[in-house]
Amino acid sequence: MSTGVAVTGIGLVSPVGTAVDEVFDAVCAGRSGLVRPPEGHALHGVVDVAAFSPAVDAASVIPAKEARVVDRSIVMAVRAAGDALADAGIEVGRDVDPYRVAVVVSGVGGLATLADQAVERSRRGRLGVSPFMLPGVLPNMAAARIAIKFGVRGYSSSVGTACAAGGQSIGEATRILRSGEADVVVCGCTEAPLFPTFADAFGNALALARGWADPTTASRPFDRRRNGLVLGEAAGVLVLERPGFARARGATVHADVLGWGATSDAYHPTTPRPDGSSAAESMRIALRDAGLSTGDVGYLNAHGTGTKAGDAAEAAAIRDVYGDAMPPVSSTKGVTGHLLGASGAIEAAIGVVALRRGLLPPTHNLDDPDPACDLNHVLEQPAAAAVDAVMSNSFGFGGHNVSVILGRANG
Amino acid sequence: MTAEIRQFLLESLTEMKYDTDGFGDDTVLGPAGIDMESLALAELAMRVEDQYGVRFDADEAETFAAMTVGEFCAAVAQRVRTTSAT
Repeated sequence: MSTGVAVTGIGLVSPVGTAVDEVFDAVCAGRSGLVRPPEGHALHGVVDVAAFSPAVDAASVIPAKEARVVDRSIVMAVRAAGDALADAGIEVGRDVDPYRVAVVVSGVGGLATLADQAVERSRRGRLGVSPFMLPGVLPNMAAARIAIKFGVRGYSSSVGTACAAGGQSIGEATRILRSGEADVVVCGCTEAPLFPTFADAFGNALALARGWADPTTASRPFDRRRNGLVLGEAAGVLVLERPGFARARGATVHADVLGWGATSDAYHPTTPRPDGSSAAESMRIALRDAGLSTGDVGYLNAHGTGTKAGDAAEAAAIRDVYGDAMPPVSSTKGVTGHLLGASGAIEAAIGVVALRRGLLPPTHNLDDPDPACDLNHVLEQPAAAAVDAVMSNSFGFGGHNVSVILGRANG
Repeated sequence: MTAEIRQFLLESLTEMKYDTDGFGDDTVLGPAGIDMESLALAELAMRVEDQYGVRFDADEAETFAAMTVGEFCAAVAQRVRTTSAT
């Protein structure tokens, strides 16, 4: 068992809102972020449904001279980080030594901007490629831009674990704080995958939900009729602190990160290990790390993307770990869509509010639970339940499994 | 020719989101004036190449930061003349 760390700030840019309570209310009420791509958008006619986040003006977070060739994922991350730091009441340099602040903000990088530049290269040759492209697309640049914008001079990195990256960034941040290398870590993930090449890759791999007349019904975690995921874009950033540091500066602590675990499937690049054994082990490691037993976890926010294989494997893993002590389980992706790596950060934020309010979001569109996904589902309506600990799962292509446990703030 | 290049430079800087208020022939392109940094100067070199078909190598482009607007326009005009004559 290790000590927990404090969650003191949250910043979100998501298809269902930018304020954490707004996002939580949406997933509880089923206010869906899933829409048909509008005419004029590059995804119109490419995919049936997607989850778009609000526009963020690049020049509002990055100097205008540098903002012309910066991927949306980076822009959203800087906005979310600013909101998270403001929520934490932290000004780097005033409230904390800049060298004692770290950044672990991840994502696949600016693939949409890279694709645009590739088109320009094809059209105009060498002169079509902007010198500003590299800082606009590299996967470390969300973390770097946050460091530049807010004067963070400690450790910074991004982790490349696909859809597990948000959860893993929180875990890495926890590790850094426990080691004493930093007092504050800005952590999370950002993804902007809504462009044709990326969407076609998912579509051609038969991973996308399809054939739903009402786009809001397309993401159906654990449902018998689920037929794929819905791509979404988002950024989620949390500010974590050493508990003593947070207390000393009088911070409001939203929740604690009690523990985390990570494993690899060692099975297949895109298909999860069907028995869920590695995913189960990530949950067990997280429980041990937090010093909790299965009965201590009052809610599990599942990865639950709405794919046939993924949901069944995760359900098998959850059953294996929890057995008769299974907590209420839901996937909020029925409302948000699959926000790829950002999911873990957004869903951790949802877990924080669930702890605070004693309310557990349902799985939207779970009309007919698949027997292969037999779990203690939260159906239709949010469930009132005072819980002390919440587990959040995030699993990524490559077989990356991450489980994070959040607990009610100890102050 | 130099006037045309000067207009092209003004339009390029505006597109690149630089403030050109008070822009004059004696304004330095780099930190002491317009404050263009390395990537912006590289982009400016590409724009010149695209517009006029003349190329500045990397070492030459690095000298742009110390040039004034007037010197830059003259250098481009000279390169255009030299290239046209060959």
